[in-house]
Amino acid sequence: MISSLATNIGLAVLGIAAFAILPSIFPGAAVIDFIIYVAAYGLLAMSLNMLVGLTGLVAFGHAIFFAFGAYSFGLLMQSGSVSIPAAVLLTVVGSALLAAITGAICVRLKDVYFSFITLAFQMVFYSIILTWVGLTGGDQGLLGGIPKPVFMGIDLTNGYTQYLFCITLFMVCAAIMRQVWQSPFGYTLRLIRDNATRADFLGVNVFAMKLAVFVLSGAMASVGGIILALFVSGAYPEFAFWTTSGDAIFALMLGGTKLFLGPLFGAFLLELIEHFVRAHTEYQNFVLGIVILLIVLGLKRGIADHLYDLAVKLRKRDRKPVAVTKLAEAPDA
Amino acid sequence: MTNSMKTIGRRDFLKAAAATTTVAVTGFPYVAKADANTIRIGMTTILSGRVAMLGNTARAGASLVFDAVNQAGGINGKKIEFVVRDSEGKPDVAAKLTRDLINSEGCEIILSGESSAGSFAVQEVIRSLPVLCVHAETETSSLTADPKLFVKTAFRSCRQGIHDAVVGGIYASKLAKEKDLKRWVTCSPDYAFGRDNTAQFIELVKMYEPSIEFVDQTWPKLYAPDYTESITKILSQQPQAIYSALWGGDLVAFVEQANLYRLFDNTTMFSTAIGDTPVLTAIKQLPEGIHTAYRYSRKSPDTQENRDFADSFKKLMGYDPTGWGWEANVGAAFIVEALKRTNGKTDGAALASELEDMTIKSPLGVNGEITMRGSDHTIINYPVAWSQTVRKAPYLDNFVSVEWSKILEFEKEWQKSKGYIQG
Amino acid sequence: MDTDALFMCLSSSACAATQISTAFIIGMLLFLVASGLSLIFGVLNVTNFAHGGLYMLGAYFALSTFEVTGNFWAALVVAALATGVVGIILERLVISRIYGADLLMQLLVCYALTLIMDDAVRFIYGSEYKMMGMPQVFDLPPVAIAGGFVPSYYLFMIGASAVAGLALWFVINRTRFGKVVRALAINPKMVSALGINTTLLYAAVFGVGSGLAGLAGGLAAPIRTLTPGMGLSFLLDSFIIIVIGGMGSIGGAFVASILVGFIKAFGAIGFPLFTDGLMFVIMAIVLILKPQGLFGERSAL
Repeated sequence: MISSLATNIGLAVLGIAAFAILPSIFPGAAVIDFIIYVAAYGLLAMSLNMLVGLTGLVAFGHAIFFAFGAYSFGLLMQSGSVSIPAAVLLTVVGSALLAAITGAICVRLKDVYFSFITLAFQMVFYSIILTWVGLTGGDQGLLGGIPKPVFMGIDLTNGYTQYLFCITLFMVCAAIMRQVWQSPFGYTLRLIRDNATRADFLGVNVFAMKLAVFVLSGAMASVGGIILALFVSGAYPEFAFWTTSGDAIFALMLGGTKLFLGPLFGAFLLELIEHFVRAHTEYQNFVLGIVILLIVLGLKRGIADHLYDLAVKLRKRDRKPVAVTKLAEAPDA
Repeated sequence: MTNSMKTIGRRDFLKAAAATTTVAVTGFPYVAKADANTIRIGMTTILSGRVAMLGNTARAGASLVFDAVNQAGGINGKKIEFVVRDSEGKPDVAAKLTRDLINSEGCEIILSGESSAGSFAVQEVIRSLPVLCVHAETETSSLTADPKLFVKTAFRSCRQGIHDAVVGGIYASKLAKEKDLKRWVTCSPDYAFGRDNTAQFIELVKMYEPSIEFVDQTWPKLYAPDYTESITKILSQQPQAIYSALWGGDLVAFVEQANLYRLFDNTTMFSTAIGDTPVLTAIKQLPEGIHTAYRYSRKSPDTQENRDFADSFKKLMGYDPTGWGWEANVGAAFIVEALKRTNGKTDGAALASELEDMTIKSPLGVNGEITMRGSDHTIINYPVAWSQTVRKAPYLDNFVSVEWSKILEFEKEWQKSKGYIQG
Repeated sequence: MDTDALFMCLSSSACAATQISTAFIIGMLLFLVASGLSLIFGVLNVTNFAHGGLYMLGAYFALSTFEVTGNFWAALVVAALATGVVGIILERLVISRIYGADLLMQLLVCYALTLIMDDAVRFIYGSEYKMMGMPQVFDLPPVAIAGGFVPSYYLFMIGASAVAGLALWFVINRTRFGKVVRALAINPKMVSALGINTTLLYAAVFGVGSGLAGLAGGLAAPIRTLTPGMGLSFLLDSFIIIVIGGMGSIGGAFVASILVGFIKAFGAIGFPLFTDGLMFVIMAIVLILKPQGLFGERSAL
């Protein structure tokens, strides 16, 4: 357990270091922008996968936490009374609270009904953003930009510093989620995913476990929102619209749900496709639609899932024992 | 930009198909090398979804100017390359694409074709990447009027809500007096522009004619497909006059559905946007005598230059210019003039200082000239007028205008009341 | 929140009558779309998120037919039939591949179809908004009902939707075809074992559901602005309806459609800003208290 924690911390530090030097290999602000964008939407997708891939809870309304993160962070910074780290912390705690309240209602429902009620909560939240103009700026979003006061000698108005800050936030969240992914808690969640009744018989408090992962994933999604709010220096109601959840689901299907990093890979591919298609046609949605159909109908599963299965097959060829391959069915990173 | 929008669409489409197949191998986004012999001007606008038409006309309006410059040999020998991206009207996409245009497409100037939410997002981008940016399509006054939002290299080349409200207030109050219209209602889309615009109109028309009473306000959702509930609610109030800030496809549906209830038989309508070309042509049964603010008309300003502009636009698009079309056209003209004065230098601060208080010749200008006011980076002396709908194309007549000095006088009071300027 | 205005309207018969008619005008068109959605879900167990796109196609088919023939009735028939045919083609090419697939895959595939349909329409018709215009026959003054006024076209629209809904109900509940379809919803293997071509049946059901959406689009074409993407707002509404009414229940779709119509009609007076929010709140409450919906007995049909 401790060794896996150490590994995850190590991996996160390595990741930060790797991304810190990346801009010197691929210079240009566009690369930095692209990475920050993928980090924001990647966190949304990865946190959603804690529900979908790990626990079997297909949430349609995950962007509620993403949007909450962006708005809460933006409003706290605009109030001028908190520092950036405090605003991040408060936002994550607030998002966890929101997830605890909505989750307590949502996770009682099963299958599609769970999906629908998460969507309902998200759309109510979206309506509130549009309606509460005095606080949120309504459809115009948070106006006037998000101030970025210097904290502990760190100045986020510098592009590279902001990039490092976003990467660090991302890596911390990724390490936390990976830790959960590999923990006994994570295996309990897989048990619930595969057979909730059996889990119940074995004495697992299914409701509490589901709620716990719901809260965790809500909190992680809000960090994605914080990163995006920092990047665009604002928060917009579109973040809370159902299409944002749709993008995350697309990233999941594109990348795959089996592997911890699958959704991140999906978010990366999605951004890449959009970037290139947009540059060449205004019919980008047509192209995107065709790509989705090809991937979903052609591959049936995410690309990373295929790579994973291929790896398993190769491993199988090397080592025959059934137990090993069985273990591998419950994948790790 | 070629003459046919349709063919460019199809060709681009094939290119895109090829591009997607290469995505997997290319890795990181391609970074364009800035070419010393061209000046790249970037635009994000809305090219898909319900208001795609407006984005298309904005692109066309601007490309008329850039094409003309290129045909005349460019600026200091440099050709202008116009790079347009579809933001779908999403603010975060608009912000990201604008950054992309500047950072990776090598655009040195931005002509932003976003409506309100999008341009506030773009404004923040320009704050951190100070290239020259001209917002061509945001009427929300605060973008340039509010000093808190001021960005040194950002300008606006379009109508401003408060200017319009003054003319509308004077025009409507006069009619109200003549026709004894006392009982008013409003029906405007429920979002920032709709609310600001309506509040300003009410404030001004009541200032000029205090006996007017607004008995009810309805707020249909933006892009609502159906207005029946609003129309029946209006009917229940039996108003003498309606003010509406609905626009585009929403307005078309509203008018056609209101026709079914014979709403305009006994009620005088004042609209901010029925005077826009696509609205006028899309409505099948255009009621006569609807009062509308100026969006664009080949009849106003009533000059040969304006008719020529309308003709060249029509040659490109197949129909007359829209509000978005002329606004982007004026924005592009300002950019070109600034570039000429800097000899093609694209430095944001240099261009910005040229633009401040610059006056250019324009077919849209009152007396043929439009000025970019230096104090708040927004245009004045553009056509503001009200007119009435008629059955025959171009469907508008009886243009009534107000002296700009009068508009500016009131604007000053308004700026003081908002705390935008000291006084 | 303007409860006074709401109360005033309810106590005036003219206002109440007008708003009630408004509720039906909004509700019945929604019902056409939602009943098709519900039918497809009940029988095929597919949540067809592409339904809004089919509604849009119906409207454009009607527009084109009307422009060519000048005949509104022909436009309506073509809207329903052509959209039904498109539905069958989509079912054969795409939807049939996701039977039994998880919800995410269904969602994504339908989302992709919507994107493709929207852009295809933009490609063919351009991005300009279009209006079909009111057919000559309905160029009449509104009809007075209990002090309120209702345009004649809306009366026709309500009637046509009701007839289509009743016909659907009759076919499902009173005909042999309906019996087979209901059996198909419960036990496809058994139906197949009886020597009935289930593949054909699935396609037919999807075609009928699509045709209903197309008919709704055709009915909407004279009064609504046609734009690429016009199906989106409709999709969300009809989605709320089938969740509230119970997925797979035609009767439930009807009741929920009218309920949504009432929320919109009276919400415009009492709480205009939060009508959408309220619909989702109701949807959430229904999901909490009775997840299968007001009229849903099982999760299917």
